[in-house]
Amino acid sequence: MEVFAFSLFNGVLYGMLLFMLASGLTLIFSMMGVLNFAHASFFMLGAYLAYQISAYVGFWPGLVVAPLIVGVVGAAVERWGLRPVHKFGHVAELLFTFGLAFVIEEVVQLIWGKVPMPYDIPASMNFAAFSWQGLDYSAYRLFMLVISVAIFAALFLFIAKTRIGLIIQAALTQPNIVSALGHDVPRIFMWTFGFGCALAGLAGVIGGNVLGTEPAMAITLGPIVFVVIVIGGLGSLWGALIAALFIGIVDNLAISYDLSAYPLFAAFGVERDVAGFMQDLVRLTTASIAPVLPYFLLVLILIVRPRGLFGTRDV
Amino acid sequence: MAGLARRSGIWLAALGVVLVLPWIFSSGFAITTLNQMGVLIIFSLAYNMLLGQGGMLSFGHAVYFGLAGYSVAHVLNGIGAGTLPYVPVSLLPLVGGLVGLLFGIPIGFVSTRRAGTVFAMISLGFAEMMTALTLILVVFFNGEEGVQTDRWAGPEPFGITYGPDVQVYYLIAAWCLLATLAMYALTRTPFGRMTNAVRDNPERVQFVGYSTHRVRWLAFVLSSFFAGMAGALHALNVEHVGFETVGVGQSGLVLFMVWIGGARAFIGPIFGAVVIAFLNSNLSGITEAWLLYLGIIFMTVVMFAQGGLSGLILMHEPIWKTDLKLFRPMVLPYAAGIGATIVACLGAIGLIELIYFMSTKSTRDTGTSLYTVPVDAATALPWLVCAGVAALGAAACRRAYRPMAASYADAIETVKAGAAR
Amino acid sequence: MTAQALELRNLRKSFGKTEIIRGVELAIEKGRIHAVIGPNGAGKSTLYNLITGLHPVTSGRILLNGADITDKPPYEIARRGLSRSFQVTNIFPRMSVLENIRCAMLWDLGYRYSFWHFVGRRRDLAERCGEIMEQIGLASRRDVPAGLLSYSDQRALEIAITLASGADVILLDEPTAGMSRSETEQAVALIRKISQGRTLVIVEHDMGVVFDLAETISVLVYGEIIASGPPAEIRANPAVREAYLGPEAA
Repeated sequence: MEVFAFSLFNGVLYGMLLFMLASGLTLIFSMMGVLNFAHASFFMLGAYLAYQISAYVGFWPGLVVAPLIVGVVGAAVERWGLRPVHKFGHVAELLFTFGLAFVIEEVVQLIWGKVPMPYDIPASMNFAAFSWQGLDYSAYRLFMLVISVAIFAALFLFIAKTRIGLIIQAALTQPNIVSALGHDVPRIFMWTFGFGCALAGLAGVIGGNVLGTEPAMAITLGPIVFVVIVIGGLGSLWGALIAALFIGIVDNLAISYDLSAYPLFAAFGVERDVAGFMQDLVRLTTASIAPVLPYFLLVLILIVRPRGLFGTRDV
Repeated sequence: MAGLARRSGIWLAALGVVLVLPWIFSSGFAITTLNQMGVLIIFSLAYNMLLGQGGMLSFGHAVYFGLAGYSVAHVLNGIGAGTLPYVPVSLLPLVGGLVGLLFGIPIGFVSTRRAGTVFAMISLGFAEMMTALTLILVVFFNGEEGVQTDRWAGPEPFGITYGPDVQVYYLIAAWCLLATLAMYALTRTPFGRMTNAVRDNPERVQFVGYSTHRVRWLAFVLSSFFAGMAGALHALNVEHVGFETVGVGQSGLVLFMVWIGGARAFIGPIFGAVVIAFLNSNLSGITEAWLLYLGIIFMTVVMFAQGGLSGLILMHEPIWKTDLKLFRPMVLPYAAGIGATIVACLGAIGLIELIYFMSTKSTRDTGTSLYTVPVDAATALPWLVCAGVAALGAAACRRAYRPMAASYADAIETVKAGAAR
Repeated sequence: MTAQALELRNLRKSFGKTEIIRGVELAIEKGRIHAVIGPNGAGKSTLYNLITGLHPVTSGRILLNGADITDKPPYEIARRGLSRSFQVTNIFPRMSVLENIRCAMLWDLGYRYSFWHFVGRRRDLAERCGEIMEQIGLASRRDVPAGLLSYSDQRALEIAITLASGADVILLDEPTAGMSRSETEQAVALIRKISQGRTLVIVEHDMGVVFDLAETISVLVYGEIIASGPPAEIRANPAVREAYLGPEAA
C-alpha cells in the first residue's frame, strides 16, 4: 500500500511536469499549427540555465530568471527564425523546429560539455517533509507539486477569465478566427511561442535537479510530451492534463510493481529457460516494456483516432 | 536519338567514375569513406522517394534500414554457422530489401492513411518504438552490444572474399548504381508521376481516378525496399549493427543529407550524401563541433534555400543552357559574396572551436591550435581576432549579397527576354 | 427510355443541424448542356461535392448512367466517367502543363499504378495529350510549370485536366469566374467545342454565359430546385425572378 501511495505521488509529480511541457506545446500547436520539436530543448535550456544561475547566485533567483530568459529566447526564435519559414509550408516549419532541437542540443554540449551537470536540489529544501508508512516524502518534491498545481491553476484562470484567455480559447479550436478578429496575429504568435517556451523552461528549472541535467534530457523527454498531447487531443488543455497524469502514473506504477509476464506463459506450459525468441517474451516485465508503451499508444491513437481522446479539432 | 545518347552518356560516365575512384583514392581511409557514401546514397535516394517525390516527411525511415541490417547480419551468421542455406553474399542486399519491404507494407499501410504532421508523428512513434524494442527483444537485437557479423560466410562466386575493403567497395558501388538507375527509372513511370501529383495536390489526384492512399502506400513500400537494401550493405560494410541504426538519429541524418543536398532534384540526395559523408569522415576527427556545424548548415538551408545545395546550382541552369557568356558579369559579385561568406564562417568557426576547447579541456593547459596556428585560449587575442573576422565577414556579406542577387536576376531577365523572342 | 446521364433522387445533406440540400430532384439528359444557377449560398458547390463523392450524403440517391454512385469515394466515381473542374483552380503547380494533363489520363488509358512503363515513351499518352493541348490552346506552353501560368491559362488547364480523363459526364464549376469579357467569350467557344458527344453540367453566375450555352437550366434556391426547363421558360418563370430579384419583381 505504501509502495502504491509513493508511486502515485511520484507519478502525479512526473505527470504534472509533463503537463507543464504539454500545455505549452499544445498551445503552440493549436494556435500556430506548428509542432515544436524543440519544445523539450527549451526544457533542457531551463534546467541548464537554472544550474548555472544557482551555481553563482542560488536556486531561488534561478527559479524566476531562467524561465524568463528561456521565454525571451523562444520569442526571438519565433520572430527571426520560425516566422520567415511560415511561408514555405508545414514541412519547412517542422524541419525548422527539428533542426532547432538538434542545434540547441549541440550548443548545450558546446557550452557545458557532455557530462551531466551537478544541478542539485537546493539545500534549503533537501529534507524529508514527512514520512508515511516508512517512506520519506521529500520536501522538494512537495514543493514541485505545489508549484506545478499553482501554475496549472493560474493557467486555467488566465484562459477562462481574461480577455486574452478568451482569444486563446477561440484560437485553440478555430485558429483562423484569430486573424479574422483583427488581432495582431504575428505578435500573438510570438508571445504564445515565448510563453510556451517559458513554461517549458520553468519545468526544466524545477525538474532538472530531480530528473538529471544532461544533454540527452531533451531527446528522452521530447517524444513523451508528443504522446501526451496526442492522447489528450489537440486544442484541449484538460485533455493534456489527464493524459499527462495518466502517462506519469502508469509509468511509475509499471516500474514500481515490476510485474513479470512469466505467469502468463507458465499457464501455457512454457519453461522459464526456453530458448530463442520466446526467451525475450518470457522475460518481459512491466518495467521492461514501460519505455515502449507510450509510443505504442501514440501510434495506435494516431492511426485510429488522430483527434485524441478529448481533442476538439483535427490536426 | 541524340537525347538517348546524352542520357545514357551520363550513366556511362558515372559508371566510369565509380570504376576508377578507388584507384585515385586508394588509402584505407578513403575507401572506407567511399563505402559509406555508397550506402548513404542509396538510403538518401530511397528517403527522397518519400520526401521530395511524395511530399511525406518521415522521422522513422531508419527502421527499415536498421531492421534489414540486423536481419542480414543474422543471415550471414546463420550461413557461416551452417544453420541457414547458402546465399551468395553479393545477393544479400536483395534480402535486405525484402526485409525492408516486408515491414514497409503494414507500417506503410497504416501510416499513409494520414498526411503531413500526423504522418510525421506516426513515423516518429514507430522509430521510438523500435529503439525501445532493441533493448527488450534481446535475442534479435542483442541490446546495447548489437549484432556482430563476418562477411566471409562461405565460398563466393568468382573467388571474391570480401576480405579487402576494395572488394566491398565494388559490391556497394554495383548495387548503388543499380539502385540509382532503378529509382530514377521509377520517377518516369505512371506510378512515379502520380507520386509527384499526390505531393502537389493530393485532393485533385482523387478526382482524376487515383486513390491518394494507394499511391502513397506504394511509394512507401518501394522506398522501404531500397532503404532495406542500404541497411544490408551497411551491415556488410561495417560488420556490426547497433541499436542506433533504427532510431530517430539515423533517420535525422538521412533527412539532413536529403534536405541539404536538395529534395527537389533527383541528384540532390546523391549530392547531399556525398558531401555530408565526406565532411563527416574528414571533420569529425578534427573538430568536436562537427555536428553543430551540420545543424547550422541544415538550419540555413531550411531558412534560405528551399531547394538545397543542388537547388542553388540548378537555379543557374537556364543561364548556362542559354549562353555561358552571361556568367561573365556575375563572376565578380558572386566571388565577393562567396568570399565574404567564407570570411564570416572562418571567424565564427574559430570562436566555436575556442569555446569548445575551453569547455571541454581536461587539463590546465590553455594552448590549442586554430587552423594550425598555435594560440593560448586564456588570452583575449584569439577571441578578439575571431570575433573581429566574423563581424567583418558578416558586414561584408550584407554589402555583397544584394549585388549578387541582382546579377542573378539580371541574367535570368536576359534569358527570359531571349526566350520570349 | 435510356438512363439519364446523371440523376439525383431526393438528395439531402445536413452539416450538423443545418440542412443545406433539401430534397433535390434533378435529371440530366445525356448529351445535353445543363446549367445550374441560383443565388449565392443556394448550395451549388455542396451539390457538386456530393455528386463527386467529396462529402457523404445524409439521404437520397445519386445515379450515374443508371448506376448508384452515392457515397462512393471520389476516385471511384471519377473512374466511372464523371469528371469535375474546380472554381478555385486546383492544378498540380510544380508539374508542367503536359504532365498535368498526362496525369489526368493515366487511369483511363489503363496504366493504373504501373511502375514498369515509361510515360515519356508511350505513344497513346503523347497523342491524347497533344489532342487536348491543341483543343485547349496550351500546346505552346507544354513545358511551363503550371504554377507559373497566367490566371486564364490556369483556368484553361483546369478544364484540360477535367477533359483529359475521357469522362463522358463533365461538371464545370464556374468556369468563367474572374475572366474578362474576351476571355469569357473564348471560354464559351471552348466549352461549346468540348460539349460535342459529352454531357455537360455547368454551375455559373454569368447569366450571359448561361443563356448562351445552356439547353436546359435548373434553378437551385435554398437547397431545392424550384424550376427546371429550357432557357425561355426559366427566364419567364415568376418564382425564379422572385428568388433573384425579390418578391416585388415577381
